[in-house]
Amino acid sequence: MPAIVVAGLERAFGEVWAVQGVDLEVDEGEIYGFLGPNGAGKTTTVRMLTTLLLPTGGQATVAGHDVMREARAVRASIGVALQEAALDPLMTGRELIRLQATLQGLPGDEGKRRADDLLERVDLAAAADRRVGGYSGGMKRRLDLAAALVHEPRVLFLDEPTTGLDPVSRKTIWEEVRALNDDGTTVFLTTQYLEEADQLADSVGIIDSGRIVAEGTPEALKAQIGHPHVQLQLAEGSVAEAEEVCARIGKLLPPKDGKAVLVEVENGAADIPRVVRALDDAGIGVESLELVRPTLDDVFVAKTGHHLEKDDEGDAEPEAVEA
Amino acid sequence: MNELATNFRVVRALGMRSIRQTFRRPQLMAPIVVFPTLLLAIQTGGAGGAVDLPGFPPVQSFLQFMLAGAMMQSLMLAGNSGGIALAVDIEMGFTDRLFSAPIPRYTIVLGRLAGTAALGLFSALWFLAIGLIFGAEIHSGVAGALIAIALVTATAMAVGGIGAAIALRTGSASVVQGLFPLVLVVLFLSSAFFPNELMIQPAKAIAEYNPLSFVAEGVRGPIVSGIDASELGEAVLAIAGIVVLGLVLSARALRHRLRVG
Amino acid sequence: MESAATLPQWRANLATIAALMARAKNELLRVPGAAIPGVLAPTIFFLGLNGVFGALTQLNGFTTGSYESFIVPVSMLQGAGFTGAAAGVNLARDIEGGWTDRLLVSPAPRWVLLAGTVLSASARALIPATSVFLIALLLGAGWPGLDGLLVTYFMVAAMAAVAACWGSALALRFKSQSAAPLMQAGMMGLILTTTAYAPLALLQPWMRSVAEVNPVTQVMDAARQGFVGGVSWAETWPGVVALAALLALLGAWALREMRRTAV
Repeated sequence: MPAIVVAGLERAFGEVWAVQGVDLEVDEGEIYGFLGPNGAGKTTTVRMLTTLLLPTGGQATVAGHDVMREARAVRASIGVALQEAALDPLMTGRELIRLQATLQGLPGDEGKRRADDLLERVDLAAAADRRVGGYSGGMKRRLDLAAALVHEPRVLFLDEPTTGLDPVSRKTIWEEVRALNDDGTTVFLTTQYLEEADQLADSVGIIDSGRIVAEGTPEALKAQIGHPHVQLQLAEGSVAEAEEVCARIGKLLPPKDGKAVLVEVENGAADIPRVVRALDDAGIGVESLELVRPTLDDVFVAKTGHHLEKDDEGDAEPEAVEA
Repeated sequence: MNELATNFRVVRALGMRSIRQTFRRPQLMAPIVVFPTLLLAIQTGGAGGAVDLPGFPPVQSFLQFMLAGAMMQSLMLAGNSGGIALAVDIEMGFTDRLFSAPIPRYTIVLGRLAGTAALGLFSALWFLAIGLIFGAEIHSGVAGALIAIALVTATAMAVGGIGAAIALRTGSASVVQGLFPLVLVVLFLSSAFFPNELMIQPAKAIAEYNPLSFVAEGVRGPIVSGIDASELGEAVLAIAGIVVLGLVLSARALRHRLRVG
Repeated sequence: MESAATLPQWRANLATIAALMARAKNELLRVPGAAIPGVLAPTIFFLGLNGVFGALTQLNGFTTGSYESFIVPVSMLQGAGFTGAAAGVNLARDIEGGWTDRLLVSPAPRWVLLAGTVLSASARALIPATSVFLIALLLGAGWPGLDGLLVTYFMVAAMAAVAACWGSALALRFKSQSAAPLMQAGMMGLILTTTAYAPLALLQPWMRSVAEVNPVTQVMDAARQGFVGGVSWAETWPGVVALAALLALLGAWALREMRRTAV
């Protein structure tokens, strides 16, 4: 029986449709990666699947229970680590896990035992009796993860588990997720990092603007795209000219930033000499050239026309400064 | 003369900002006017029998008597909130920008106080209107109303100066906010809400010398009985005293802030 | 994968309420100075009210010559209102910060989550109440007798629960701390539009009309008994009924809002 089944799931906030008809299925024991840029609808979807938000349309079943009609049964079967690590800075790590155990209905001594085990497992045994307010970002995430596991849930939801973490902390979380999955836990994780989806997920669902645009194993998705592309940094000459030249050899891809030129080439490495010669003939100097194999970002671009990981061009709204 | 004109423009610019900030966020402004209005209604309705007490000054109604107290409460809250706004500016780093500009320090504080003054003006008008709507007479008419408004506005600024000093010294909005109960205490220990003669010791003794009492009576006089020169003089002197205190504390706090950075 | 045996539901519920109350005490014990505003405000109001309006007892119709005795229950109930509203503000803060999601995602029943907030407010309200009571005794208020004191404390705890339901309902409805002034003002209005400042006969006509229909007037009079006279069941039961009614009404509203958080 699939661990998660979603059919036509929708959520509107007034006029805005955050999720517009999502269909997906997650098998038991699978790691499912929900990949998409900021604002794509990932968090909204997770909140609906974890009964924190009611869908405005469609259906979803988690661990065999309907999220709208059997919410309590769903809550008893799932573990959740949300984006805003829902922690109380005044509590100690141990107190938090024991509280979580109580919330799940576990007897006191059982909760105590599991807290000890879990804290050991996520390497927080030393900091267990210090207040959470003093934990680093990585420690808070590990604690959140440990708390989500206290009742040994069948399905684990992780909303952007490594956003904002340093590479070492990220690796630690990844290892822990793999270990959990080896024990049989189904994992539904959302991420904006394609490497995370690529590395961890058995299946990936790519979401953009509230809709799933692609779904499958990472390998299958990348194979769909098929062709590698050449990435050029120019030493001299204009980008526009270079693009014109390259367009005659292969398919031009939207640039990631203003300086590189990306062109898809059918024959892979064999096409490189053609590119170099053509540019040379046009008097355009190349500083560096790289053959890049398809990534999930390429899949994303193919389906949506823009990149998954953009360079930050002031997307954040400026702080309202009083005139 | 040129310098004075420039400074005036600076004060006006900062003042406009401060006023705009105040009135752009009604949810912050509301408590300053709404709470005292609520209390006015409750206290008039609950303790209105006081006018029958032997020794209570002749008034048209208890509401008429209490208007001054409501205005005093508003202006104290306004001064407190002005201090909070300045502390927020400091926490945000906005004041650093001002400090590094070639403008004299007093213009910064004065500009902030413009917002407080505007709030004081607004609350004076508000309570005079409430009084008139609910049947209270302003004994000395328009002249009386103007005097009350002027005194309230000036006191709001004076109290704001003390709030600003605390903001400059501590640089923390939550500390300034935490002082709000103290603000209430000081007001209770004055004749803002009740005639001094009828208060209970030891509050009575403290209220006799509390500068806020002189201000309250100066505001109340034109509304309840008439314009009295000595009463007015005492009020003005009291305000001046608070202003001086505010200036001294602000100057010292400024020096401290610039030293500590 | 099997989960370990869980407790029977009623025991799990009790354990959860106890755990949430234990967490709530951290606010007071682990944040330096956090208890002060809650205790200070009602005490200041008591001293202020007494110093300013104390002469009112000279009026005909006052059942006691000691204004301290008259207004002790007012300040104690105000402390209850303040504490309960503050519990609402804390809940709003928890909602904004994401903590409440942790509670909502667990299988704990919604009424259990609410009970944690409400019961800790009831317990906490006893602190400012005691502060006001002790200061009042120092200032010459009469000893209310053990029965009077118990009745008053009961009213205080129940009033705090009422205020906590009110604050929680607003917090869950608006999901923002900006509703805080409404939480506080609402309770202040409810508690003071009663026989707070003077007996019913001496209130202004409009205030008297309001106080006559305000259920908290019954609570106020019941809480005041020991301080101004003797304690009787006849004077107590109206207060109990009033509190029960308010608790039922506001509790139901708060519970409804708690259940609707997913909307």
